[in-house]
Amino acid sequence: MVGIVSYGTYIPVYRISIAEIAGVWKKEPAEIRHSLGLTQKSVPGIDEDAATIAFEAAFRALECSQCKPQDIEVLFVGSESHPYAVNPTATIVGQFLGIGTAYMAADVEFACKAGTAAIQAIAGMVAAGHAQSGLAIGADTAQSKPHGVLEYASAAAGAAFIIGNDHLVARLKAETSFSSDTPDFWRRDGIRYPSHAGRFTGEPAYFTHVLGAARRMLDMADMKPGDFDYCVFHMPNGKFPRIVAKRLGFSEQQLALSLVVDHIGNPYSASSMLGLAAVLDHAKPNQRIFMVSYGSGAGSDACIWETTAELQKVQNKRRTAQYFVRQQIEKNVNIDYVQYLKQTHQI
Amino acid sequence: MKHQPTNMNVYVTGVATTKFGELWDVSPRQLARQAVQAAMKDAGVHPEHIKGLFVGNMLSGMLGGQEHLGAFFSEELELFVPASKIEGACASGGLAVHAAFNSIRSGQYDTVVVLGIEKMTDHRPEDVATALMGAGSEEERAAGATFPGLYAMLARAHMRAFGTTEEDMAAVAVKNHFHAGKNQNAQFQKEITIEQVMHSSRIADPLKLLDCSPISDGAAAVVLTSQKSKIKNQKFVEVAASAVATDTLGLAQRKSLTELSATKRAGEQAYTMAGVRPKDIHVAEVHDCFTIAEILALEDLQFAKKGKAAEAIRNGEVTLGRAKHIVINPSGGLKGCGHPVGATGVKQIAEITEQLRGTAGNRQVARARIGLAHNVGGSGATAVVHILKM
Amino acid sequence: MQSPVKIWRNQEKLVELIGKTGTIVSWTLVRVPTSGFSEAAPYPVALVRMHGGKMIMAQVVDTSPGSIAFGTHVVTVIRRVRKPDEDGIIPYGIKVRPV
Repeated sequence: MVGIVSYGTYIPVYRISIAEIAGVWKKEPAEIRHSLGLTQKSVPGIDEDAATIAFEAAFRALECSQCKPQDIEVLFVGSESHPYAVNPTATIVGQFLGIGTAYMAADVEFACKAGTAAIQAIAGMVAAGHAQSGLAIGADTAQSKPHGVLEYASAAAGAAFIIGNDHLVARLKAETSFSSDTPDFWRRDGIRYPSHAGRFTGEPAYFTHVLGAARRMLDMADMKPGDFDYCVFHMPNGKFPRIVAKRLGFSEQQLALSLVVDHIGNPYSASSMLGLAAVLDHAKPNQRIFMVSYGSGAGSDACIWETTAELQKVQNKRRTAQYFVRQQIEKNVNIDYVQYLKQTHQI
Repeated sequence: MKHQPTNMNVYVTGVATTKFGELWDVSPRQLARQAVQAAMKDAGVHPEHIKGLFVGNMLSGMLGGQEHLGAFFSEELELFVPASKIEGACASGGLAVHAAFNSIRSGQYDTVVVLGIEKMTDHRPEDVATALMGAGSEEERAAGATFPGLYAMLARAHMRAFGTTEEDMAAVAVKNHFHAGKNQNAQFQKEITIEQVMHSSRIADPLKLLDCSPISDGAAAVVLTSQKSKIKNQKFVEVAASAVATDTLGLAQRKSLTELSATKRAGEQAYTMAGVRPKDIHVAEVHDCFTIAEILALEDLQFAKKGKAAEAIRNGEVTLGRAKHIVINPSGGLKGCGHPVGATGVKQIAEITEQLRGTAGNRQVARARIGLAHNVGGSGATAVVHILKM
Repeated sequence: MQSPVKIWRNQEKLVELIGKTGTIVSWTLVRVPTSGFSEAAPYPVALVRMHGGKMIMAQVVDTSPGSIAFGTHVVTVIRRVRKPDEDGIIPYGIKVRPV
């Protein structure tokens, strides 16, 4: 049996509202809110990056577990804002966690699904007995060009999952993926801001892959949406996850807990992972969670999780330490556009 | 081998200070020549009498790319004697005097020159600020602390412990500008008011621009000798004490944030060496790199009780023309006279010497017979105290 | 360029210091920074007495300067220390955040 042993999440405190951004570009905030389903997004502190955010999330995952840092045998960090093009974020995080040297580390990139790719890879290693436990982290300080549509959503956060074979809080019941070469959103090496292909990012990209992975997953597991208590989908904006949930036959109630996008925007590699964490924070034992991520380029990873009674232990620790996703969402400081530009190093 | 006498008495026989300020068109070589030649003339000595050269300086390497100042100035001054640079951050000058003192006291040399010199205005302010933090610890630099920032934290601790106010600190600057106005070499010649200090721009809260000594160029030189018979005018200013103490480099490792323990220890050691007590001192040049530093100095040197220095300064008790027992920083201190880092400690000796000789003009402290110079490195990691007696 | 070896050696010392709590014993707001710190200025720097007894000096993050006081409880975190050279190693270090 493989699954989640513990998890940690970190959202920087700063928020900028859609209205603030829209005001700068003389757009109607109501229009943006309506078309993108967003209200505000999280902004990293001027001294934060994907490494420090990944570290915080991982530190908290360990803190709320019985594991010692040295128990981690494999560490992957998935991001599209790794601080270096060459030099692994994973070992920076590993160093500060005090893991030691007896671990395998690597960075992963696959747009917004880099973190879930890490989960599946580590789950495979643990299932094969090549590692007893590992850390899969999704963390980003997403970049977006000023005045572009991505500016309203591109946010910052990190989520870390300790994957193991014992004392599981959620078992990985089944998994699959759907991958193709689809140029919906990309960033060339050395180029600061990503580019996207407009409406092509919808049906042929997000929906094809999420639906593709979801339907195959349900098929393989011989299950229906009604068999699940919760669902989580990648959240590039407030609309897409709601649309895809409906199209698959999931209800609003099943989706509700996961919708972190409504409060913090899209933290790319941490998006669906944070959604999962938000669900785990409030799930009861023996509940089933259906999760499908999406990464541009493109691909989706689908996972079916089943919670256990052990989940309460981690929930209690997280609640006491104010680590719940909901508690983190509530710790917020509003900033203006100039401050946002400073903190994201654009001025 | 000839038996070398030890424990020679050490006298200050010649002193000179250049103008302190933003001396754009004056080079370090010119500063050195000006100060040393004037000091040697004041002492009535020639190059062949000089047996050693001690150079106090902090930033020549970090800012100017030039180290090896002993050889540099030995050549420039055409002295060609044993020479070295002594560095202890802002206490470089005092430490150079201390090294010179030891060389004469031990009998190794009979007459030496001490040159304190700094050229700071050639460089960008943020480069100077960064270089000055070489006086602190790596932890402090990594925290983004600046030199004013370190003293600001000391100020805040003192304010909390003793109710010291920002106005109290401003009174130090006002006094020292008042004194500097009587010193033609001082960087600042105009008086300022408490209000002006309070309204000056904030540098590191609660310290404001006028709480901080300026960036300055300048040099000072003194000639020390054991050859009493060769001293002109029979004005024997003796270096009765030369004491140094060190403390932790960084504030985080200190035992107390409301005192500089190195000052206390160097001070007590100096009083013992000179056979005097604090109340016997008539005039003192103390290290007011920031206004709070003068308040700390008065307490640490036992000129005022703990927590009472601010009141004494505010009430004019240590101001020229109003003081009853002791005048503090008649030269204008670091704040009013300027603070070319390596020069300050030597300039302090020059000032005290002039005071004891009675040649301090309208800065003269009446009947000054015993004086003290206090020079600090960094946020208190080094303290040097000299006591001079006429 | 800041020495990568020096950064590496300094980072070794940081692991024990992370995630520890303490209280503020003094602080300032640095408005005129040293090189590498200008983008963050003005920023608070504090002396913090850690609950183990040791005292450290660190920048205070995620707080408004007005809300720092004697006794404010903080926890140590890892952040970028200063703006790295364009092509240099990124220095990470300890800062403190109010809890």
